[in-house]
Order: sequence, then structure tokens, then C-alpha cells
Amino acid sequence: MFAWGVATALEARLAGGTTSGLATGSALVVLGGLLRLASQYSAQVLGFDKGRALARARRAAVFPRLLAIAGPGAPALGATATFGIDHIAAEQARAARFDPVRQSATLAPLLVVVVVAFQSRVAALILFATLIPFVIGMILAGGAARQAADRQMAAIAALSALYVDRIRHLPIIRHFGAEERIARQAGGAAQDVAERTIAVLRAAFLSSAVLEFFAALSVALVAVYCGFSLLGLLPFPAPEHLDYRAAFFVLVMAPEFYLPMRRLAAAYHEKQLGEAAEKALAEVPELVARPCASEGVALRDVVVVWPGHRIGPISFELGRVGLVCITGPTGSGKTSLLAAIAGQVAPSEGTLETLPPGAIAWAGQVPLLLPTTLAENLRLGRPDADCASVAKAVGAVGLDALVASRTDGLATVIDHHGAWLSGGERRRVGLARALIADRALLLADEPTADLDAPSAERIVALLANEAKRRAVIVATHDERLAAVADRIIAL
Amino acid sequence: MIALRFPLPLPPRVRGRITIAFFAALAAGVGGLALLGVSGWFLTGAALAGASGTAAVAAFNYLLPSAAIRGLAVVRTAARYGERLWSHEAALHALAGLRSTLFARLAHADGRSAPDLSSGDASARLIGDIAALEDLVVRRPGIPAAVGTALVGLVAVMLAGWLAALLLAAVLALLLVALALLPPRLSAAPAADAAAAVSRLRRMLVDYAAARSEIITYGLADRVTMLLAAEADQLDKAQRQLARIEAASSGLLILGSTFAAAAALLASTAAPPITALAVLAATASIEAVAAIARSSAREAAVAEGTARLQVLLTLPAPHAATALPAMAPQPLGFGAACFPPGSRIALTGPSGSGKTQVIEALAGLRAPFHALAMGGTPLAERPASLIREQVALAPQEPMLIAGTIADNLRLARPGIDAAAMELALRTAQLWPRIERMPQRLDTVLGEDGGVLSGGERKRLSIARALLAERPWLLLDEPSEGLDAATEAALVAALEVWLDARGMGLVIASHHPPPLRLASQHIAVAVVPRA
Repeated sequence: MFAWGVATALEARLAGGTTSGLATGSALVVLGGLLRLASQYSAQVLGFDKGRALARARRAAVFPRLLAIAGPGAPALGATATFGIDHIAAEQARAARFDPVRQSATLAPLLVVVVVAFQSRVAALILFATLIPFVIGMILAGGAARQAADRQMAAIAALSALYVDRIRHLPIIRHFGAEERIARQAGGAAQDVAERTIAVLRAAFLSSAVLEFFAALSVALVAVYCGFSLLGLLPFPAPEHLDYRAAFFVLVMAPEFYLPMRRLAAAYHEKQLGEAAEKALAEVPELVARPCASEGVALRDVVVVWPGHRIGPISFELGRVGLVCITGPTGSGKTSLLAAIAGQVAPSEGTLETLPPGAIAWAGQVPLLLPTTLAENLRLGRPDADCASVAKAVGAVGLDALVASRTDGLATVIDHHGAWLSGGERRRVGLARALIADRALLLADEPTADLDAPSAERIVALLANEAKRRAVIVATHDERLAAVADRIIAL
Repeated sequence: MIALRFPLPLPPRVRGRITIAFFAALAAGVGGLALLGVSGWFLTGAALAGASGTAAVAAFNYLLPSAAIRGLAVVRTAARYGERLWSHEAALHALAGLRSTLFARLAHADGRSAPDLSSGDASARLIGDIAALEDLVVRRPGIPAAVGTALVGLVAVMLAGWLAALLLAAVLALLLVALALLPPRLSAAPAADAAAAVSRLRRMLVDYAAARSEIITYGLADRVTMLLAAEADQLDKAQRQLARIEAASSGLLILGSTFAAAAALLASTAAPPITALAVLAATASIEAVAAIARSSAREAAVAEGTARLQVLLTLPAPHAATALPAMAPQPLGFGAACFPPGSRIALTGPSGSGKTQVIEALAGLRAPFHALAMGGTPLAERPASLIREQVALAPQEPMLIAGTIADNLRLARPGIDAAAMELALRTAQLWPRIERMPQRLDTVLGEDGGVLSGGERKRLSIARALLAERPWLLLDEPSEGLDAATEAALVAALEVWLDARGMGLVIASHHPPPLRLASQHIAVAVVPRA
């Protein structure tokens, strides 16, 4: 309409300037502009909403997978953040910017060709003919660019993982005076990712340059054809009569034919990154299939294989009560076996029966501390636990003195330094949490490590006592703990 | 227009790219404008000539404009490609440089007074917030080029008369003022919200991923996902507002282009071919301003990124490490008690009494709570670099970096060879395990020691501390996670190592065997507070 308006108005001027033609033309120009304004605005807003809906669904699907997977397949900490934020954002950008443009890129050019054909069949033919090399160029450039985009996604995830790791360990890096060496390494990695990104962009920009080139070429062809046709200088017999209004209309419409496809090309980078992200996210392993749930724990010839490790074969059974100690030299795989019993790692051989997930409590070596109050951290296994049972567990593990020494007591907020809890205190928070969870099976990984003798003896007595009410499996090399065990599994 | 500056001086290489990109952008803009204008003029001129008969046709020079049209089409494409590539190259190199500079500043900061950032937060700044600055560099060549193109367009429209040019100038000025003022103001708040939300989200993901084991056991995945989703919703909400503002700015451009075309049509006093040229040039010059609209819409996000980087930017630049002559071993002071170099000291006290605090303070990792001294000066008054060259720590948490076993050992000091690594690993009772690995010292550990068990990680960190060859060895629970036989072997080997080098020792342990390495005992409870 905009184009028609311009053409009408110009023809009006050409014809000697009847004011009515000029006015109609100008009115059409303004009307066409407003129409385009409205449709473009709503397309952009709707596109964003579509992207947001997709991102929401993806987060709901991906977050649990990222956070509830143990073992060698789990992504590193920094890579987890990249997967959960950057990769999903890439998919969102594709849905918001590329997908709507793709729809309009298939429909709009056809519409333009039909409209142009009414004015000039030859011009329509020129537009259509340049479309073919345009599409071929797009496909060729796209294939190469996708590979580069995949590699770039991997490089960005690795860079993020490297930075998280090195920043986490800055204290020890500074301690050994290795700042300069590590900073050089980090800088080199950032430069490397920049080079890879440039390679991806070069491919993406080349594909859009190909598109732009054909767009410009066809506009030029249409302009020259129309011009020569008006001059009556065509080197071949004129297939159609072209008046000025039609010629100008066709000229103004020609870029419109390519506009959606140029937008497509501009959004092509988003498409490639989005697809690469989708692929990377699909490669995050699925949740481990849980072993068959049963009343007790039963292992028959269980073998667990980790990179560089082989544990087992191991066989033992444990009913509703009793204390089993898994002992063995360091590095023999006590923690890994415990994780297998918890259903977090699938055994490579043998059969493993264990309790359903809701019946297992875990006291780990480096217990989880969420940035919330101490009380809420203790209640993570059973958020509805009453104050009495929290207080009882805190007393049982010997944390009552610590709680009393803090001005806020149980309401002390755990910051990202772990509120300066010592290693032994952290470990006891994990154990207290497991007790508060009050599950049928308690798994504890080195519960007496980092503790002084009186504290350790207290924990030994506590676990021996717990084993009268529930099944307890402990990985330990503490002889005091092994001494009170009903059964010792030596690895 | 763009008041923001890149936070650090750009290197010459980047500035060179920006300059080339500017010329490419100008060529692309003017080329595109000329293409449209010349096409319109050519068409109209041809129509006039065609209508006026054969003589006029013969007089009409069609070769030059038709060649120009084709030439301009190629120039525009090539220039656009160059502009995009060079401006992105400049941006990416600038960002990589900024990342590496800021990481170096953070790394060189004194650990005792360094900014209080969790690793997730710091990496969010170094990765995410720096990425937000990309726009600042990418758009830099485009903005002056856009102004240049718009001016060329204005000159072209002048051919159609002063009134048309004046009207176009007015539309352009209105548009520029509106775009410069409105989007940055409207988007400041949502951009701040979005940046804060994404940084919180990143930190949460890193923290929770570190606690996967418990998340699985207690079935916390859904709860944690909900916490994360709530944060992500905040992000989406802010970004939705930003998207609306961006859509509105591009709407403003369409409006401007419409009015510019109508104005050129109505106000033109020139002949029809020139009017056609003016109308198309007017729309093209408005289109050129689109680059400014885009940067303006993102200005708030860039400002937010810069603001969040301030905490890192204000860190002092690391001064070149001056190779100090290796200082003689210094005595350690615990309150009034002073221990000469080579002393073997055990810290005693119940769990939680502050043994680890003392050791970490001696290692220069944190400000001391106790009255500790080194070389006669209170520890707090001693520069971190002078503390470090006296002590080597094997901490309670082994603190292994992601990389190979050799990478971890090489942290201790530069220039450690494989033979030295083997010797230290033998002393730490870890060599037999590493000898069995197919890649041996080049085995990749993954995060936090990956394939190694807790006790093995601890011994790797002991080997690293031994390799540092400092006058004092600091051991925090060295035999935690070891069976009795390995523990005994480790203690015996450490004794040989310490004796051979006359090295001092400060040790904290709940196990009696390692404590036998010490000849003197200090109860942490009796060391006075600083």
C-alpha cells in the first residue's frame, strides 16, 4: 500500500500535478506505514511471548535433569549454569526472533510475487528466478555454520566451567602465588572462545551476505528492466506494456520481496545457536533409573565401574534394623558404593535392591548448605519437622553449643561462606538433617571424620543407637565405628 | 548519544577494527541509499524520456545509471559484510581482553580483603555481564556511520527543494531525540531487574549443582526447580518489558520513515525524477537511523552490566611481580610464644575450637582472629606476598582445580618436573594409585578432584604443598579419610621429608599418629585473640 501510494503520487506529479492524485497517494503512504507499524509491533511482542512460553517449558524439563543426576555423567558446576541459563536463552531467542520470521519468509515473498505479477509478469519472473540461487546459497552456508555453532556452544560452556572453577579456588591459587600463571591461562581461554565465535560469525555473516547479494542483484535487475522497458530500449521484443506507475510500484516492491528473507538471514545466527543449544541440552543424561524398590537392602554380586575404578563384586543384605560398616583403604570406592545403594549410580553388574527414594536419608562428606537459615537447612529432608525434633537432633549430634553461641540461634542465616562453620560442624549439620528426615534407611559417609575424639565417640554411640530403630549403612575407616557394627563389608 | 564508554581503554588492534568497520558501515549505508535513489531517478527519467519520443531516448544516458545500480548493489553487500564482521571481531576481542584483565585483577587481589563474591557470582560477572557489553562495541562504528548516511540522504533530498530537506531534517531530529531519551529511561529499571535476576539465577544453579547428592536423596529437585523457576519468571518479566520497548522504538522508525516519504512527496519542488530520488533517499536515511535505535534500546542493559562490573573494575591493576630475593625462614609467633624456623608444632583443641582458623590465617587465606606473628610482625600487618613465601598449606578441603594431576601440582611453583612430582607423590603415598592410571600425571581430574576419592584428594594436596618448598608446612587433618596402614606410611614418609629439608610444621589433626610428627603442642584455646 505504501508502495502503491508512492507510485500513485509520483505518477500524479509526472502527469502534471493534479493535487487530488498527490493527496490520495500521500494518504496511502501514511496509511500503509501505520498498517506496517501495527503488524510489526504485534509480531515482535507475540514473538517474545512465544519464546517465553518455550523457555518456561524448557526450564521445567531441564532444571530437574541438571540438578538431580549424580555420577560421572553430571555436568560440571559452571557448565550447569551455562546449560540452565545461556543455552535456554539461545533457544528462547530462536523461538522469539527466528521462528516468526521464518513463517513470514515463506508466505510474504509469495504474496509479493503475486501482487507484482499483476503489474509486471517479467519483474515477477526476475524476482522468482533470483530466489533459487538465494535458497541454495542459504542451505550451503547454513550447513557449515551449524557445525561452527555447535563447537562454539561447547567452547562457551567450557569457558564458564573454567572460570567458575578457578574463581572458586582463588584462595589456594593466591596462596601458592600462582595468580599470574592462572590468569594467563584464563585469558588464553577467553581469547580462544573469541576466535571461535568469530569463526561462527564469519559463516553466519557470509550466509546473510549471500542473501543480501541476491536481494540487491534482483532489485538492480528489476530497476534496469523497468527503466529499459519505459525507454522502449529492451534488446528483446517487449513482452508486456509497462506504465510508469506499475514500474515504480514494482521497483518499490522488489526489496519487500527479500525483506522477510533478509530478516531471516539476520536471525540465522540465533537459529544456529538455538539449535546447537537444543542439541547440547538433549545430551544432558536422563535421570538414573532407580533400582527396584524393596523392604530392605540386598546386593548380589554388585559391581560399580567409574572411570579408573572398579568396585566389587559385593553381596550383602540388611533388613529393617542394623548397622553395616563399609570399610576399606582410601580410594577403594566406599562413597561410590553408598551412592549406588542410594540409587544414585546404576551398578554395572549384579542386582541391587534398595528402599524407595523417600525412605533414604543421606549424610554426606560435604553437606549441602542452602543460602537460608540454619533451621531451614536442617529441615530440608522434612520441611514440616517440629521444633522439638529439630532441637533433639541438634543435641544428638552435639551442635547445641554452636547454636547457643550464635546470637540468632537456629535462625542464623547461612551465607555462601557456610557461615564459617568448621568441617566437623558442617558434617554434623548433614547428620542432624538426616536424623530429622527420619527415614527407614540412613546412609552416612565418614560421619566421624574431622571430629575430635569426644565428639566422634558421641556420634558412634548415636549411630549404634539409631541402628536399633532403623537400617544404617556407614562408609568409614573409623575403628570405633566398625567395632559397634553388626556387619563389616571390607572393600 | 551513547554516553557509555567501554570500561577499559581499548587496545589499538580493537580500535583499528572499529575504524575499518566504521568506513564499511558508512559505505554500506550510503551505498544502499544511493542504490534506491539512483534506481528511482533512473526509472522516472526513463519514463519521461520514453514518453517524449525517440530523440529523448537517444539523448538519455542509460549506461551510467544502470551500471551504477549494479555496482552499488555489490558495494552495499560487501560493505555490510565487512562492517558486521569487523565490528563483531572488535567487540569479541575487546570482551576477551576485559575478561582476562578483570580475572587477573581479581586473582591478584589480597585474599583477605578481596571483594566478597561467591564463585557463581564472580563468574556471572566475568561471563554474563561482560557479554552484555558486546553491544557497546558492536554498535560503536554503526552510530557515526548512521549519522553520516542520514546526512548524505539529507543532501540528496535537498535536490528536491529546501522545504523537503527541512522537513526531513525535522523528522530526523525528532526521531533522534525521542530515541535517545525515551528507551534508555524506560528500560533502566527492567534492565537492572533482568541483570540482577540472571546473576541470582546463575549463582543458585552453581550452588545447587554442588549439592546434587542431597537434592536426589531428599527429593528436592522439584523444590529447587521451583525456586529457580520463580527467579527465571522475574527475568522473563523484565525482558518482556525490554522487548516491548524495543518493538516500540522500531515502530517509531516506521512512523518516521512514513512521514519522511510523505513530506518529501508533498514538499518537493523539483522535477519528477529528482522527486523519486528524494522520496526513496528520505526513507533510506530514516532506515539508517535504525542502528541508533537499537543501541539506544540496549543502552540500559549495557549500563547495568558496567555497573555490576564496577566491583571488579575498582580493583587495582596487578603490578608486575618483582622477583624478591628468597627470604630467610622466619619464626612464627602464637601469642607470647615464639617458634624458630624448623619447629614442629601441633595445634590441639576440640572440634570447632579454631584450629582451622589459625592454619588458614597462617596461610594468608583470611584475616587472623588470634594474635599470630611471623618474623616478629603481627600477621595482619604483613603483606600477603610475604606470608606466602614462608608457608605451604594442605587445607582441610583439598581445593583441587579442574585439570590434570600435573596441573594441580604445578600450582605450587613454576618449573616443577615429573621426577619432583613423583617424589612428592611417593611421600604423600599417592604414587602407586597414579602409577596404575593409564594417563598417570596427565589424568584429568574434573571438578574438585573428580575421579579421586576424598583421601586421595587430600594426599594430592599434601604433595602439592610439599612441592612448594616453603620453610613452613601447614597440614590440616592430613590423614582424614585414610586407613591405618596408609596413615602410618604417610606419617613416616613426611618425617623423612621434613628431616631432610629442616622444614617447620604446623599441624592440626584429630588422629594421634600424625600428631607424633610434632614436638611441641599449642592449645588453640590459650592463644590470645588479636
